Amino acid sequence: MNFTFTDDEIAFQDAAKKVSAEVLKNNAKHYDETREFCSDSLKALGELGFWGMNLPSEYDGVDISSIGMTLAVEEVAYYCAATCSSLTAHFLSTDSILIGGTKQQKQDFLPRCAAGELLGAFALTEPGAGSNPAEMRTKATRTEEGWHLTGTKHYITNGAYADFLVVYAKTDPEAGHKGISAFLIERGTEGIEYASPEKTLGLRGSHIYEISFDCVVPESALLGEEGAGFSTAMEVLDRGRVEIAAMSLGIARAAYDDSLAWSKDRVVSGKPLCRHQGIQWKLAEMHTQLEAAKMVTYKAADSRDSDRRFSVESAVAKLFASEAAAMITDNAVQIHGGYGYSSDLPIERYYRDARITRIFEGTSEIQKLIIGRAITS
Amino acid sequence: MKVLVAVKRVIDYNVKIRVKPDNSDVDLTNVKMAMNPFCEIAVEEAVRLKEKGVATEVVAVTVGPKAAQEQLRTALALGADRAIHVESDERVESLGAAKALAKLVEEEQPGLVILGKQAIDTDNNQTGQMLAALTGLPQGTFASEVVVSGDGTDGKVQVTREIDGGLQTVELTLPVIVTTDLRLNEPRYAKLPDIMKAKKKPLDVKSPADLGVEVASKTQLLKVEPPAERQGGVKVSSVDELVDKLKNEAKVL
Repeated sequence: MNFTFTDDEIAFQDAAKKVSAEVLKNNAKHYDETREFCSDSLKALGELGFWGMNLPSEYDGVDISSIGMTLAVEEVAYYCAATCSSLTAHFLSTDSILIGGTKQQKQDFLPRCAAGELLGAFALTEPGAGSNPAEMRTKATRTEEGWHLTGTKHYITNGAYADFLVVYAKTDPEAGHKGISAFLIERGTEGIEYASPEKTLGLRGSHIYEISFDCVVPESALLGEEGAGFSTAMEVLDRGRVEIAAMSLGIARAAYDDSLAWSKDRVVSGKPLCRHQGIQWKLAEMHTQLEAAKMVTYKAADSRDSDRRFSVESAVAKLFASEAAAMITDNAVQIHGGYGYSSDLPIERYYRDARITRIFEGTSEIQKLIIGRAITS
Repeated sequence: MKVLVAVKRVIDYNVKIRVKPDNSDVDLTNVKMAMNPFCEIAVEEAVRLKEKGVATEVVAVTVGPKAAQEQLRTALALGADRAIHVESDERVESLGAAKALAKLVEEEQPGLVILGKQAIDTDNNQTGQMLAALTGLPQGTFASEVVVSGDGTDGKVQVTREIDGGLQTVELTLPVIVTTDLRLNEPRYAKLPDIMKAKKKPLDVKSPADLGVEVASKTQLLKVEPPAERQGGVKVSSVDELVDKLKNEAKVL
């Protein structure tokens, strides 16, 4: 076992840290307070090639290892979790094309995504189908004019800002999982309606939308093969969960670093907080959780580069890192006391931003189901 | 015109500096290192000259330990065409670096050498000036603007210098040494694809002996001390009390 990163991985981590610390950090509070979409931060990342981090150089991506990408995602989340969420949602859309698309679709979309020109969104979840996508009701029917899509998607990150949507719909309602197909739908297509962005607890700079469809798209909008949508989505989510683990790590590390610094500075009853055993133990627990979360996340990232399935590794990483982030951000508020509860410091934002990581891209319960089924099969 | 740009590996400017317990030096264990910010400005200026068509080649160079190749890779990712690493594990100070750079100037024959005005670790502000002296080339230090007339072939460069209380513009005949001040430009961020492409760019490693120079410092570092810890402040209730304290306690009035 080797616990060192390659030069490339460190270079990506450094590059992500630099732009995030100098640009993203300055916008993070503003986005949180105003609920304004994180356009500027996202654009800054796009100009530097971050939108293509998940893609091979064949499509103008960068050929970085998943560990290198994970480290970069972690840095983005450290300084602005909302921007990180929009970025990783974009990866779900481009991963869908990469895994499920035809050569032509990959060539048409991916280089422009990598260049920061096209932002994507991944539309799987529905008001009545969250943890079990097979319950989706959006359907696509083949007509003389093309595919007729009808239905509603829910909680779609980037929604109205996305240049294209990867929409999952039933093309054969009788066929269960195998009746689901994916469609590439460009913004401006007639018959798409976006509701106002949801008001959310955290990640306020990263908007999520309800989108309803009653539109006709050409045959070429079918992503890859008919009926392959569900397996594409599952593979995409295996990859995406590693990124959510990385995002959880980033938020948790920010909360931990701030807490450690605060505990050395803040004096209570004549000595710094960190010299009080009750606080010192909290910090030790936070540190341990963070270290363990790093290990499972980097291991899952490493598995992602192998040829075998890594659903269990990615579920373990996502489950552990998101739960660790909840514990660490909660303790961060506790260590800061009233200062942590006030929005003058970013601590309460970390606490709110971390909460969704236990829910989206598969709740903690779904991760346990994936792991449980696999280890008992 | 070829541009030679010097870069130095220093502690990242965001890092809180710690001194070793025995006060022998700054503690560099597990500390994040980065390119000196003034050197970033130097690289940016060189790359912009290339983008304008004034420079034909940008060569990045550093004198330092093996790990300093990270900073050369950064310069290559930012747009330098190739790099030269003068590898030395010795504690290199301004004169040693200037001697090595002078040899490289002789070998490479650049039209322009751009350096940061100083490094944020030792704050010496000497290497550029020493290099000018060693090579006998004119120098434009503390540059806030560099204008090469025409395409660089007529051999003139105007350097606007930040001096106390104002600006001074000097015209120099190429080849010249320029050192950068803070306001010369705003350095770009490295693009991820360029970081990967930088690996394919040539990086030559030389030893000081290859260049026939000694780079080890002739000064001995005796002691490093952190600044005195700040004492807690007090709030005063009136201007009179403040004036009284400044007069009688602080004794500054």
